[in-house]
Amino acid sequence: MATSRGVKKEPHAYSEISLRGNRSVMEYCRTSMSALSGATAGILGLTGLYGFIFYLITSLCLSIMLVVKAGSGWKKYFISRTPLLTNGFMGGLFTYILFWTFLYGMVHVY
Amino acid sequence: MAELLLDTNIRFWVVLPIVCITFFVGIIRHYVSILLQSDKKIDLQQVSDGQALMRSRLLRENGKYLPKDSFVMRKHFFNDEEKGFFKTQKRQGQVKNPMTDPSMMTDMLKGNVTNILPMIMIGGWINWTFSGFITTKVPFPLTIRFKPMLQRGIELASLDASWVSSASWYFLNVFGLRSMYTLILGENNAADQARIMQEQMSGSAMAMPPDPSKAFKAEWEALQITEHNWSLQSIEEELLSNTVAPEDIYVKDKFV
Repeated sequence: MATSRGVKKEPHAYSEISLRGNRSVMEYCRTSMSALSGATAGILGLTGLYGFIFYLITSLCLSIMLVVKAGSGWKKYFISRTPLLTNGFMGGLFTYILFWTFLYGMVHVY
Repeated sequence: MAELLLDTNIRFWVVLPIVCITFFVGIIRHYVSILLQSDKKIDLQQVSDGQALMRSRLLRENGKYLPKDSFVMRKHFFNDEEKGFFKTQKRQGQVKNPMTDPSMMTDMLKGNVTNILPMIMIGGWINWTFSGFITTKVPFPLTIRFKPMLQRGIELASLDASWVSSASWYFLNVFGLRSMYTLILGENNAADQARIMQEQMSGSAMAMPPDPSKAFKAEWEALQITEHNWSLQSIEEELLSNTVAPEDIYVKDKFV
């Protein structure tokens, strides 16, 4: 299942299964981070634009942490570097909004 | 905080139960569908056919690394007019009609029992039990267009659009908990209703088993037109000339 992408000099072989594993680990990180940050925003009682800015900040933090964690050897684990930054941004947003709404409702509405 | 005062009991008797019910129904659905799952029966014949096809494909792709004798022998094994594998093996087309095959019928029924029925039942039950509550408020302003989406079951024209009714709170949970299920139950879980709905739309859930005799014929044709083209012709000179790195030889004709 190795996909080889042909550059003339140095061919790289990527294992599809491992790539998928890496991606799902990243997805786990995203989901956990957005759930946690949504809960935080809800408890803090952020409303409106502040909540979305908070989500942007936390997901940016997560991206930076992922990039730092991957370090200089990221080429071993991912084909390109952009998924580290952008992967699962919108899907995480839904989780974030749910948790934010839930805890905001629990703490501040009543 | 809020301009509308809600009874605190709503929080403990409506909002929390809806979240818990949605969540645990998803988890129960996952385990029930595992219980009901009948493992697909693959008979030995199909496996060996598949392996033969794969071997033939590998021969076509990588046959250039074999000596000519070996290549011709393998090709003869598959394609000989009298005794070749693809010529002698006759498989009758066993395309099953899902309506007549009882095991497929039960599979479909099980799928409906675990997927559609709980969705309708739980959704209807929540709609009925918790009808007419304003449960919570989304913490961001929304335009008037979201009113029918978020305030199902409450027809109040003057209510601000960011208040959420109980039925809509249920649907918000159904869609918002998808990624939580992936987190808890793993990648290919059965708790995800929205994904199942998508699958039913596209009809990809019912993949027909391929007809082996047609696959054999196609593979026979493909192998028939494959010529032996040895790519290790001058391997000794290239290796002995000592100027070529090994990886260059290995990938020599790979992308031609």
